[in-house]
Amino acid sequence: MADGKSGATGSTPETSIKRLDFKKQTLDDAYAVPANLLEIEVSNPETHGLARTRYTDYEVKMKTNIPVFKIKESSVRRRYRDFEWLKKELERDSKIVVPQLPGKAVKRQLPFRGDDGIFDDDFIEERRKGLEEFLNKVAGHPLAQNERCLHMFLQEPIIDKNYVPGKVRVNN
Amino acid sequence: MSKGQSLGVPDDQDKLLGEALKQVDKSSFEMKTCLDNDKLMDALKHASSMLSELRTSLLSPKSYYELYMAISDQLRHLEQFLFDEFEKGKKMSDLYELVQYAGNIVPRLYLLVTVGTVYVKAKEGSRKDILRDLVEMCRGVQHPLRGLFLRNYLLQCTRNLLPDSSNDELDGTVHDSIQFIQHNFSEMNKLWVRMQHQGHTKEKDRREKERLELRILVGTNLVRLSQLEAVDKSLYLKSVLPNILEQVVKCRDAIAQEYLMECIIQVFPDEFHLESLNPYLKTCADLQEFVNVKGIIITLIDRLAAFAHRSDISAIPEDIKLFDIFQQEIAIVIQSRPNMETEDIVALYVSLVNLAIKCYADQLNYVDDALKSTQEILTKKDMSKVGSNTSTGRELQQLLKVPIDGYDAVLTVLKLENYSSILKHFDYDGRKSLAVYLLQAILDKNEAITSWTQVETLFDLISPLLYDEADQPTDEPDPEDFSEEQGMVARLIHLFKAQAPDQQYQIINNSKKVFVKGGDSRVVHTLIPVVFSSYRLVVAYRSIQETDSKWFQKCERIFQLSLQTISELCKLAPEPSLRLYLQGALTADGVGNETIAYEFLTQAITLYEEDISDSREQVVCLTLIVGTFESMASLEEENHEAVRTKCAVASSRLLKKPDQCRCVAACAHLFWSAKVSDGNEPTECHDSKRVMECLKKSGRIANQCMDSVVQTQLLVELLNVYILFLEKGNNEISQQFLNQLIEKIKGNIEGLDKNEETEQVIQHFENTLTHHRQSKQQSEAD
Repeated sequence: MADGKSGATGSTPETSIKRLDFKKQTLDDAYAVPANLLEIEVSNPETHGLARTRYTDYEVKMKTNIPVFKIKESSVRRRYRDFEWLKKELERDSKIVVPQLPGKAVKRQLPFRGDDGIFDDDFIEERRKGLEEFLNKVAGHPLAQNERCLHMFLQEPIIDKNYVPGKVRVNN
Repeated sequence: MSKGQSLGVPDDQDKLLGEALKQVDKSSFEMKTCLDNDKLMDALKHASSMLSELRTSLLSPKSYYELYMAISDQLRHLEQFLFDEFEKGKKMSDLYELVQYAGNIVPRLYLLVTVGTVYVKAKEGSRKDILRDLVEMCRGVQHPLRGLFLRNYLLQCTRNLLPDSSNDELDGTVHDSIQFIQHNFSEMNKLWVRMQHQGHTKEKDRREKERLELRILVGTNLVRLSQLEAVDKSLYLKSVLPNILEQVVKCRDAIAQEYLMECIIQVFPDEFHLESLNPYLKTCADLQEFVNVKGIIITLIDRLAAFAHRSDISAIPEDIKLFDIFQQEIAIVIQSRPNMETEDIVALYVSLVNLAIKCYADQLNYVDDALKSTQEILTKKDMSKVGSNTSTGRELQQLLKVPIDGYDAVLTVLKLENYSSILKHFDYDGRKSLAVYLLQAILDKNEAITSWTQVETLFDLISPLLYDEADQPTDEPDPEDFSEEQGMVARLIHLFKAQAPDQQYQIINNSKKVFVKGGDSRVVHTLIPVVFSSYRLVVAYRSIQETDSKWFQKCERIFQLSLQTISELCKLAPEPSLRLYLQGALTADGVGNETIAYEFLTQAITLYEEDISDSREQVVCLTLIVGTFESMASLEEENHEAVRTKCAVASSRLLKKPDQCRCVAACAHLFWSAKVSDGNEPTECHDSKRVMECLKKSGRIANQCMDSVVQTQLLVELLNVYILFLEKGNNEISQQFLNQLIEKIKGNIEGLDKNEETEQVIQHFENTLTHHRQSKQQSEAD
């Protein structure tokens, strides 16, 4: 108790323990919606093409109220190699330790397998989970949030691999 | 925020909780062992490790609650020990400081609260300062679930320790308690609201469910406030309510708002609510869009209505215009919520009407105003043909049923000007079911309807029962339901009871015109009671003949109308019409109107001849005609003769011999006890010869019957008739003649087989003989 008004009353908490003063919170602050909403979902895997051009892509849905993101709700489609590209860009430009992607599953790409290889449903689901975890970790990082590559990955319909790397600034 | 950690699935929950409880068992056992050995420091260490279990983020609110309960049980041992220590002379202030060195915040604050409780009990320091310190320190836990339970622990521990007087400045007053609880309340509410934003948006439903499970923790603060005895009306208005309402509005959270507003109503006394209606209701208008404001206001209204109803009228102070306040605020709430469902708006008015009736039964304009407002809203929303099965339809039904059920006299409803205009917004089924409800209520209470104006208003309300309507379903109504409804309308007619006969005439005459429009299927039910009420009116006129010189003419008019009414019924319902004619004949006979009586009688006979074709029905009707005719007294010889003959002829023309036999015998009475008037005095016919002719004819018909049992039966009956007339003094009947008949019957009986049927006939015969013997002895003795 910093006011110490009743300091003369004897062994009250005031005399024995000094408390730090604190700022009184306004009601608007107390009940404000937290400004750190960030939800990324990786879902709807779809396999396209045939033979050597065959690949799977995923829907990446984002919902946020963090000011640095221009678009508050977005949805794009990405394939595994886009994630690899993102990881590479982040490792080069930012100072953060970028988490691991789910494995490349080299073995699964060998011929003469009994199952569908990398197009097996169970495998796709496992990979989807891994990618989702990866993205949530990356996008939740305050430093990564400034990287242009992350913004492009999450919110632009098409990734321009010839972009100019750099930082995104909050406008207000 | 524990975004990364997701709660375990239910199976995990049991496992996680089980493990945590095992830890609690272990630590608490060690804590208690240390306490037993007087090792306080070690005990505190074990207590702290037990409390560490509450730091988990893995448990669902339900499991966390169980864990919390187990731990707070164990903390009681510690508290008891500390209290014993204090009694042995230990200084609590030292301990209070000591526990603050516990390493983790959650165990630290639980221990601080536990020691603080004893510190307060020890009266070592200023109670208010310790309490304030505790409630402020709890701010250290900002995780919603953990914070809520910690503060709940604070509330539990301090529940009997809060200052509750208004004059101990040093140790604390009720004001300090209010401040303490309100501080705790606002913090708990904050944490509770914050839960809404915790975790993934797709788990919103589960989160809201969990929040509802936790609401009682927040509400306990309000309970504590209501338990302070020093909080009176003015303190409540000044210091308690405004703060609560501020938190409610500012939190902008629908779940919290809805719960807390209800909670206020439930925990504080009705007397307080009466004084705080304005601020409370103003807040209602400020709540979030999805809050069920309607439910809140209705709870309050219903509670106050019940309160006012329970206690005497003085319960509501004169200066509190309960109805006006609610009416205004409801209007404001509706206005501030353009998206409010119509059913909810109507529900609000249902409550308002309920309030008006319970508290201000004699102020009809209150109910009328509420109905008017509802009606205006319905019109504005362009709602017509509201289906009775829709939720709006159900609320509207309720709106109109409340006055029916609420007023002592159901007919009060007729005075509400806007009642029928609401009814017009219903579809056919809705209007009809309400009509039935209203009618049933009137019939149940047997309320007399005394003027045409009332009847007219009522008819307007129950019109679906009276006529076919444009929007009624095209398929035929269920015949059973239909006749039940029409039966109710028929019973209603018997409740028309004007004071003066002239007014009653107006009612009957006008309502008859209405009923006629109902079509064939309805008039067979409704016109019969109309005719009966007309006859009753005739009797009423006769009873005022001293004061009403025109009574005879008025009666004649009624008879004319009745004749006309019955003639409309004849083809639809011949048998009832015949009875109506006969009843009319008796009524006219009773007021000495020979012409009319004769007219009714001949109409009955004509109807009998033309429209009664079933042989069984013929017997019944003819017997009725004969019986009615026999008891009349106003016919003069010429008319009497004509009817007598008609009856006799009709009797002999019946299809079956036994029927002929009995009816012809019955006709004998028409020549004996039937009364003929000479214009003044009626005299009985006593035409012995014609009586004898009838009986002989009846005997001949009996003899023509082939079945010997039936023949014997008829003869025994005839013997009875003979004896009757003999006793009455008909000198045409000789004993010798009777003996012949008796011999004939005896002969018949000898030829009969013995069975139950013949037994009866024989018994009848023997009884007859016994009677005859006795009456002969009697007359010889005289």
